[in-house]
Amino acid sequence: MFSKILIANRGEIALRILRACRTLGVGAVVAYSEADREGLAAQLADEAICIGPADARHSYLSASAVVSAAVVTGCDAIHPGYGFLSEDEDFADVVRAHGLTFIGPPAEVLANFASKEATRRLLGAHGLPTIPGSGMLRDEAHALEEAERIGYPVLIKPSAGGGGRGMRLVRTERELDSCFKLSRSEAKAAFGDDSLYLEKFLDDNRHVEIQVAVDRFGAAIHLGDRDCSVQRRHQKLIEETPSPALSEAARQELADRAVKAVVAAGYENLGTLEFLVDASGEAFFIEINCRIQVEHPITELCTGVDLVALQIKIAAGEPLGMTQADVVSRGHAIEFRILAEDPAKDFRPGAGQVEAYLAPGGPGVRMDSHLYPGYDIPSYYDSLLGKLCVWAPDRAGAIARGDAALRELLVDGVTTNIELHRAILANQIFIDGKVTTNLLDRVGSAPFVTASSR
Amino acid sequence: MPDQAESANPGGTDREQGLRSRRDREAIARLADDLLPALIAKLAASGLGEIEVREGGWKARLRKPAMSEEVRRNAARAADGHAGHGIATRGAAGHGRPEERERRSHPEEDVAEEPGRIAAKSPAVGIYHPRRDLVVGMRVRSGERIGFVDVLGVRQDVVAPVDGLIGSSLEEAGEAVEYGQDLVGIELPEPSADAETGRPVRDAAAVAGNA
Repeated sequence: MFSKILIANRGEIALRILRACRTLGVGAVVAYSEADREGLAAQLADEAICIGPADARHSYLSASAVVSAAVVTGCDAIHPGYGFLSEDEDFADVVRAHGLTFIGPPAEVLANFASKEATRRLLGAHGLPTIPGSGMLRDEAHALEEAERIGYPVLIKPSAGGGGRGMRLVRTERELDSCFKLSRSEAKAAFGDDSLYLEKFLDDNRHVEIQVAVDRFGAAIHLGDRDCSVQRRHQKLIEETPSPALSEAARQELADRAVKAVVAAGYENLGTLEFLVDASGEAFFIEINCRIQVEHPITELCTGVDLVALQIKIAAGEPLGMTQADVVSRGHAIEFRILAEDPAKDFRPGAGQVEAYLAPGGPGVRMDSHLYPGYDIPSYYDSLLGKLCVWAPDRAGAIARGDAALRELLVDGVTTNIELHRAILANQIFIDGKVTTNLLDRVGSAPFVTASSR
Repeated sequence: MPDQAESANPGGTDREQGLRSRRDREAIARLADDLLPALIAKLAASGLGEIEVREGGWKARLRKPAMSEEVRRNAARAADGHAGHGIATRGAAGHGRPEERERRSHPEEDVAEEPGRIAAKSPAVGIYHPRRDLVVGMRVRSGERIGFVDVLGVRQDVVAPVDGLIGSSLEEAGEAVEYGQDLVGIELPEPSADAETGRPVRDAAAVAGNA
């Protein structure tokens, strides 16, 4: 096991990793930017070090600053959290070159799975059903040709992208023609790579993902699925496990195939395989996330497995320490992403001082948040304030606990989406477990916003 | 700007001369009302020793006479070893690995928050190496390199933020430092100090870094 881990992230996930380190009895150093000096992780850590200015390019995204911080503080491993450098194979390589361990898949594994298009082909070859799509697009003519073959509507997707950024839905030849160049320049600006590919767009789809863990010795388990269909503009808002979209048999089959495919493809450490599930219940693999996911707590609530601790152990070269038979998923869990966004003002992100903060409690309630009264939310980063997760023996119970906890959660000083969550929970489509990824964007958030302001 | 010159116009006997003196008065009024307060505020906030502004045939130059009491106090506290805001790491002996976090439980010790304190700051997280010839009282110019921080073998310059005299060294050579950390105190020269010799101004007991 490691002696000391540098936590190269911020917000709630930095705190989550700090907690895992303490549980494991491993030392931890929180690396923070100037804007996060007052962040809870930096405040609670036994040791913290400022790695750069607020601009993430010179702090959380600076490989040299992060690795230098780890070296001078005597760390032997770096946990990148999610986002920032978490899936950057070059960073993982630099970390290793300095004699440190990157907590995540090894650099060459990250490199193998860096391209979404290549990953689909790789895992498709190892038995995962994939969504019809194109190869890497050469030019506009090639794009039009491929779209014709796949059939409209299609999504234009940047190969290096993530989190829905740079994605575009086109329904006609003309739309594709007018969007192609723009998508290319956006991808270049956002990811430094303008490779694009096309994917068949399933109008009423569900987003279901399978959590897997593979150790260095090729032993692997899955930890069930998560349904992330409640999205707004491709950003996940509410996640739950198990998915109401899959039957028990379908879930089992999908998870088994996912585990077999990643082992065959040489994957290592925690991973999340994302699938789109169409109206008939058929699942198509779309991408793999080679990091800890924002929504990992709901899996922890149902399985009792500490995923961050497991991730650290695997990176340290330890065996999984459990088999598939040991993983028992009980009950139902839901996560609500609490965001500093104003639903009434087109979800404009907010910043400012948290005047009051009170986390909810009670049976089956877990709040992962870096908020505290008096905390100044910096405007430089994402708007995630925390994750409210609830567990109950069944889905109806989880919805009831979710609503009670959302009513109890108090965040004063900044506008949040707490009431929007309550409106979604009260909506019949959600109660029936029939939300599709396009729901909020198709009907618009307005009905929910109106309902939430009552 | 309120046109105070209009009412101040005495209405001279010679028309041309009157116009010129009126223009002068207007310019002086503008200086006093508009420019000077802004310049004074800028000078106070900047930590610069001198500011000069030219416009047309007019020139205004402001010079800080000496260190304010506040700057003196802060410099003295810095010399006493108060690490200041944001220094989360303390170097251990030798290789200089910060082993423990300094808890900022005493907000009144947050000296960097106070105006007037001047120090050369670390440009990056790494190992600090002051310039070998650095001594207390040495005169440095704004932008002058006074050391470097080694970031994984790449040197990043530590520069003096203002013209002044090298004061106390806040960090030793070979110590691990974080981004933005105060490394060397810079003192503004006393008016009586001889500019040519760069004679130490006060509190010369503290020895700069790697002298």
